Parts: sequence; C-alpha cells; structure tokens
Amino acid sequence: MFERFTKDARSSVVQAQDEARRLGADRIDSAHLLLGAVSDPASVAARALATLGVDHDGLVTTVRALPHRSLDADALAGVGIDLESVRAQVEATFGPGALDEPAETRGRKHLPFDKDAKKALQVALREAIRFSSNRIDTGHLLLALARLDGTPGQRALEAAGHGRDELERAVVAAWADTTAA
Amino acid sequence: MSDDLMTAAAGDDPREGLLAVHSLRELADRLEALHVERARRLGWSWEQIATVLGVSRQAVHKKFGKRFR
Repeated sequence: MFERFTKDARSSVVQAQDEARRLGADRIDSAHLLLGAVSDPASVAARALATLGVDHDGLVTTVRALPHRSLDADALAGVGIDLESVRAQVEATFGPGALDEPAETRGRKHLPFDKDAKKALQVALREAIRFSSNRIDTGHLLLALARLDGTPGQRALEAAGHGRDELERAVVAAWADTTAA
Repeated sequence: MSDDLMTAAAGDDPREGLLAVHSLRELADRLEALHVERARRLGWSWEQIATVLGVSRQAVHKKFGKRFR
C-alpha cells in the first residue's frame, strides 16, 4: 500500500499516529490523517490549505470539537461519580496521567487505523490515478479525505468551510507551484 | 455534586443518561487495562485475572495477551 506514497505522504501517515495519541484517541481516524497531512507546512496538503486560510493548529481545534471517546466529568457526576477523586486514586497507584490513556492503546506500540482511515488511504490511490500520477502525495490524500462524507476528516474540512471543488483547485495550484519551483 | 446534575442523571433526558453510560464504560475500560497490566507485572496468571474479572481465560488473553505478556 505505502510503496507508492511520496516521502511527505509517508511521513504524514507517521505523524497521524502522533496526532491520534496527542488527542487521546485509541485508533487513527481520518481526522488524524488530515492533521498528519498538514503537519509539515511544506507538504502539498498544507500549502493547499494555507491558500484557503486553514492551518494545522486551526484544524486541531476543529477536530477536538468533533465527538470522540472520552471521560465526561459532568456525565459521571450525574451518576454520582467524582472523576477527580477517581483520578487522584488511580494516579496514586499508577502514576500521573494514568487515566488519560485510552484502554485500547495501553501497552501498544502502534495504533490501528480505523475503517474510514483505511478507506481514505485507498481512495488516495484512486485520486492519484485520476490525476495520472504514479505517486500518492498529501494532496491526493487531502482530496480523498474530502470525498468520504460523514467521516471525521471530511467533517473537519467542512467545518473549516471548504468544499471539495475549492480544495481541488487549491491542491492543483499547490502541485503547479511544486513543478515550477 | 450540584442538584441539577443529580436531577439530570435520575431524570428523563436520554442524552444525559447515555453520556453517563458512555463515560462509565470508558472509565471501566481504562481501569481494566491499568489493572490487568499491573497484575501481569506482579506475576498473576491469566487464569487468576479472568476469575476475578468474571470472564473466561481465553477472553482476557485475547484482549490483553499480546500487550501485557
């Protein structure tokens, strides 16, 4: 799968794993792929989105606002559980931050990709074919993410206010820039 | 805990109740992973862990076997 990825696309996938961990996720989803794709400001995806006024930090804020698996202190208080006192007890035994890591990731070196993220990687290949490119870069990945309606990556792009056509023009412009440079 | 939170939990808003269930499950999952990891480090067998958790040895091994040898 990854043999046709350009260097920046490969490193964006590695970055996606760090993004997922930082956000306390238990798997890599399409939103983490999106954050990974723009984590290097020189990547095609980052340059394309920059022309639309979207940057990595702004997307992190957007992604954080999407629903995710979490410990909701208010909801737990509603059933009589004081999350802060549970946290204090757990940290006394297991150390600081012990309760912050999702159960799925504890003891694992690599997070798994979720279904949508796998799909996005496949669609990125189709995008590369559509543009007659034999390499898959972060531009193709970005267009793939925008195609998968209802997934966290697509919703984050939508929340940032950009539809597919606009993104495609921005990506094509970023490619043209690369060729010219 | 404030009175409105108590009302919310005991009350009739499905959203509040579902959110509480979601967080309880998440909390239980995180505690389970922490304790299983520690029990293994302290030399507990999968059999012993499974008995206390009330599940089969196979179930607990399948879930944690690779991670917490």
